[in-house]
Amino acid sequence: MKRKITLTSLFLCFIFLAGCIPTSIIDDILIIEGEGYDYIGNGKVIGTITMPNFVQSGNQGSQGAGMPTTASMIRNLSGKTYDGKSLVDKFQSEGQRVIRPGKIRLILYNKRLAKHGLAKQLTFRNRDPDVPRDLNLAIVDGSCKELLTSENYQTQIPIARYVQDMIIHNNEQNYPDSDLSTFLYAYYGTYMDPFMPIIRKKDDHIEMRGLALFKRDKYVMSISENKAFIFKMLYQNFNQGVYDFQFAPGKHIALRNVHTSVSYNVRNGNSTSPEIFAKVKIIGQVRQAYPGSISKATAPRMERKLERDLAYQAKKLVHQLQKKGIDPLQLGDQVRSFTYHFDGKSWPERYRQAHFHCKISVKIQQTGISS
Amino acid sequence: MKKINETHTVGPLAAFFIPQAMQIGVGFLSFASVVTKASGQDAWIAVLISGLSTLLVMWFILRLLENERKYGTPDLFSVHYRIFGKRIGAILNFLSFLYVIGFSVAYLRSIIEILQVEIFNQLSTLSFSILFCLIVWYIVIGGIRNILGVCLLSFIYLVPVFSTAIFVVPHAHFSNLLPIFDHGLQDILSSSFVSTFAYLGFEFLLFVYPFIKSPKDAKKWAYFGLLTTMYTYLMIVLLSILFFGQGELQNTIWPALTFWKSVRFPFLEHIDIICVIILLWNLVPVISLCSWVLARGIKFTFPNVKMKYSLIGILILTIVLTVLIQNGEQVKQVGALINNSGFIFIYLYIPLLLFCQWLKKILSGESA
Repeated sequence: MKRKITLTSLFLCFIFLAGCIPTSIIDDILIIEGEGYDYIGNGKVIGTITMPNFVQSGNQGSQGAGMPTTASMIRNLSGKTYDGKSLVDKFQSEGQRVIRPGKIRLILYNKRLAKHGLAKQLTFRNRDPDVPRDLNLAIVDGSCKELLTSENYQTQIPIARYVQDMIIHNNEQNYPDSDLSTFLYAYYGTYMDPFMPIIRKKDDHIEMRGLALFKRDKYVMSISENKAFIFKMLYQNFNQGVYDFQFAPGKHIALRNVHTSVSYNVRNGNSTSPEIFAKVKIIGQVRQAYPGSISKATAPRMERKLERDLAYQAKKLVHQLQKKGIDPLQLGDQVRSFTYHFDGKSWPERYRQAHFHCKISVKIQQTGISS
Repeated sequence: MKKINETHTVGPLAAFFIPQAMQIGVGFLSFASVVTKASGQDAWIAVLISGLSTLLVMWFILRLLENERKYGTPDLFSVHYRIFGKRIGAILNFLSFLYVIGFSVAYLRSIIEILQVEIFNQLSTLSFSILFCLIVWYIVIGGIRNILGVCLLSFIYLVPVFSTAIFVVPHAHFSNLLPIFDHGLQDILSSSFVSTFAYLGFEFLLFVYPFIKSPKDAKKWAYFGLLTTMYTYLMIVLLSILFFGQGELQNTIWPALTFWKSVRFPFLEHIDIICVIILLWNLVPVISLCSWVLARGIKFTFPNVKMKYSLIGILILTIVLTVLIQNGEQVKQVGALINNSGFIFIYLYIPLLLFCQWLKKILSGESA
């Protein structure tokens, strides 16, 4: 009897104490997948959110003769608010169901907001525990609202997934990794600056437009896709990138890298003009070439040309970055890692004076099945 | 001396699982950002130093307990009674009770705070700690063997949690570790000091030791347990430095949780939530063993009180103390308090106790 009472009271305890917490049943919530912010000046933005639109089919197996298929949830919301406002809170009153930010895949900013500065957005994103850190960020050349809410894409897949797919597969090729976690790493890191890709809506599809480079949280400059190869070559080890090399006017050769590795060395890190040595090894293959420009025998000659060109481009890029005073390649961090008692205070001054040396070795592994 | 019934003893492997389960609680979640505060990329040296020093403390503990064996039950309570007499011994026992309950409350409240911040914003501290203490009550009432079982399970459940560390590798910035030894010894030692909280817990062997069946074999397992913990913590610190870098680490309260947010599986979302829930299980042995130690201590001091009844009082006290800690800042303060008192306990008090024991032996040898 006593045992029964104990067990019953225990059981009741579990019942009464559990279930005090509101639930989030996946069919009954609106999951935000994409967010977009368009700056309109004066600290105001137009925020846009998109939710996946699960299509509810009518009669199963009726081969189109049954009920028409309907979308069961609203797809997007947009409105004016201040910079740094959580769009989840902003649009909660307009949502069909509860809006939850648990699976944001994509956050877009327009160029004007990026120039204005993303500091408020980033601190807010980094503070919110609901938001995953594997989401992708991008700058939109044009209007985020238009990109996110447009109806005339070729694909039916929710727009956030479409854009994320595109960015992720490009990150495996010419573009350096750029999810929220890498962005915040560079944003909060000392002696480095972040970057993110630029995308644009072009008629019925979306395209990558290059890489946007930041100084702290402010957009400073952009580099093109071909330059992104140079950037990535100096930034991380990678493969599957394509570099289009114009060796003579109107004559192109495309180097597809099988593997690229980069290593740094630094001398005189605490002097007024530190010397940074980058050593890049590229193993590549050629698939596209101007007729008669390359064969197994002439490959070494082309390799030398490529090396000279890549080294020149790399130096030009770094010089450009130094002039702007931005460091997305994290050269400052490289210098720090090679220098004991690194003098961080004077680094921004010394960064402009730093000498960048680049040694590139290209090896063309194969030139295709015909010569 | 009352002989412990063999059905209540545990095998020598307990010396591996019990310290291990007690050490790896919630400390390691915030560990990386705390230790890197003073010594930056050299924090792993600090973690290594305090890990090795725990081996030394373990040697002291085992020595102390082995010396005690010929006089009676080899646990801290009896040591206090024998060396300092009944009155001072009781006071010292009471102080160690305070430490144990503080330990248990600090752990329970920390995980509740993480749950409240990360997953369930509306979670009430009271109802959660009541539910949790019900589970603990059920385990402790089953005896030390049950607790050891829970320790073993928590070890097994932690394996998938720690194997998520593999996802750091593609994002590792190895230059973050350089230059090595850029910080002075003082910075490194102050990092070692704050990492004590994560390492605390192995000293509970002081209370469990008489229940281990063949203590000779248990010794090596005790050291293995500590080495495993040290390895785990070393990996956590190294990987956090590789993944985050100094700038971001100082900005993050729980680096491990933040890291789990960037793990991506095609078929699973929000690994961080899954891992936090697994960590809850990790806390069960900690609270269970603390409550068991307290109940045993009360029985030792007042032999008439049955463990069954004192346990209920202890759990109610745990719940009350847990509810009294109201916000994150207080959780931090309690953590710091346990860190400091634990530091004094293991690095100063235990060697002192060993010295007293030796002194007592000399003195009584002379008088005899």
